[in-house]
Amino acid sequence: MSTATANIPDTNNAADRAAIDRSCRVPVLTFFATAIFWLLAGTVFALLASIKLHHPNFAIEIPEWSAMVIRALDPFIPASTVDAINGALTFGRVRPAHLNTVAYGWAATAALGVCIWLMARLCRVQLRHSGFVTAAGVIWNIGMFVGTGAILFGQSTSVEWLEFPPYASFLLFIAYALISIWAVDMFVHRKPGHVYVSQWYLMAALFWFPWLYGTANILIHLQPVQGSVQAIVNWWYGHNALGLWFTPVGLAAAYYFIPKVIGRPVHSYYLSAFGFWSLALFYSWNGGHHLIGGPLPAWVITASTVASVMMIIPVVVTAINHHMTMKGNFHVLEYSPTLRFVVFGAMAYTLASLQGSTMAIRSLNKITHFTDYTIGHSHLGLYAFFTMIMFGSMYYIVPRLVGAEWRSAALIKIHFWSCAYGIIFMVLILTVGGLIQGLGLRDANISFKDIVENTLFYKVVRSGTGFLLTLGHVVFAFHFLLMLLRLGRSGGGPTLFKPANG
Amino acid sequence: MAIFYGLLLASMILLGGSAVYALYWAAEDGQFANMDEGSKVIFDEREPEGEITDAFPGIDPKREIARKKARRLMKQATNS
Repeated sequence: MSTATANIPDTNNAADRAAIDRSCRVPVLTFFATAIFWLLAGTVFALLASIKLHHPNFAIEIPEWSAMVIRALDPFIPASTVDAINGALTFGRVRPAHLNTVAYGWAATAALGVCIWLMARLCRVQLRHSGFVTAAGVIWNIGMFVGTGAILFGQSTSVEWLEFPPYASFLLFIAYALISIWAVDMFVHRKPGHVYVSQWYLMAALFWFPWLYGTANILIHLQPVQGSVQAIVNWWYGHNALGLWFTPVGLAAAYYFIPKVIGRPVHSYYLSAFGFWSLALFYSWNGGHHLIGGPLPAWVITASTVASVMMIIPVVVTAINHHMTMKGNFHVLEYSPTLRFVVFGAMAYTLASLQGSTMAIRSLNKITHFTDYTIGHSHLGLYAFFTMIMFGSMYYIVPRLVGAEWRSAALIKIHFWSCAYGIIFMVLILTVGGLIQGLGLRDANISFKDIVENTLFYKVVRSGTGFLLTLGHVVFAFHFLLMLLRLGRSGGGPTLFKPANG
Repeated sequence: MAIFYGLLLASMILLGGSAVYALYWAAEDGQFANMDEGSKVIFDEREPEGEITDAFPGIDPKREIARKKARRLMKQATNS
């Protein structure tokens, strides 16, 4: 291609754009609908796990009753099967079920949907091989069902973030690899012109994740490395799944939707490119900070701490860029649901990342490690940042796919405020509770029993904040269902902006 | 075992190499040549710069903003 690259797109008329949106309908709605299903499932597991922290025997009878019924129907059922069913709702199974359903079932599935739509729009061509992409979505969801069932019935591998047994993770890997191959095909067939920064993030994320997931599964399940090396492989994967998969997709969406909604280009496009390349350079080193104090060579952890602190560069660059883009346009937050969610997410990204950098420093990590403080941080990252951006993206994308507007502004507002307040209170309460735990654990005069009792209050309040989030999710799922059933408002209103056939 | 490690090492080199190549390609292709124009590729004739493209159902942000501005001006006029 010549260096004279036509930076300005071909005159790209609205009919083309509407056709591109329409071509995404089946695969993207498949991903979104199943993502919301897994969001609800993950929320139920989350509530169960949270309540069990203060009422350990909550709902424990349900699987026992079902086991009794099954035994009555088939008296020759093996005892091991009955045991597997009996334990299905114990904390040790519900908690990993929560992590996997929200991380892979909700977040990753929604992310793939957003990726597919953004790829089509940014390549400026209609979605190619729609059936192929939908098939990948079906395989992905079969993998999710198999894996979640395996965890609930006692087949978890007990490696955090990789709890799915190999027969389930293989399905996820295949589905993801298919999407990656499709993305390359789309990129090759894109209309000539400038490659927008979001597309850099998307292509990188789609390349990195299958490699990370495949490598981690090989080194931990198929040809397991020995001893403490497993721990470093585990956290190299765990942190990179966040940093090299969820973060780039979240930022790609923010870099697209903020300028697109307010109708003003990114403040400094140079900074956005710089942010991308520095993120690629520093993030992949971060995993070691999960193992501070662990049986690893000190230099491994130190290198990881340094890289974690260096993350301040891409984060601050992104924060400045988003803020300067928004400057003078904050009043649009009042009118646009997408912008509300995405800006909330972008602000949480800055907070979560800067907090993460401090938590990688040994002196603070000594206090916060293994406490609820870390749980607060992970919810700030994966919920307040990533999930909120995914909600915002869906509010923009879905009307353009189904050709109708959202039914009710009130439902959107309930969704936003219950999720916003829910996650803010949850993070605050976990942070305070975590500090009490962490400081208590470092004081030899306080018994472990006292620490547990002191933090009981925080656990109960945390379950309360969980109910707020649940309310938001149920409202959103209902609203989305109305859209799927074509009960949205018809006509080319402001969300659609111009009639799709225009 | 050795085959696995060989494969992993090869994939690491390939992945790192492709990142370096991507940066080289982008520079050669002129992707970094005119950044101000590049940042505008997301707009087009029907969704041009300066237009808000998302709103709560039933609300026209343009009209709302204009109404607010008018009200502010009225207030200023009555105050002075």
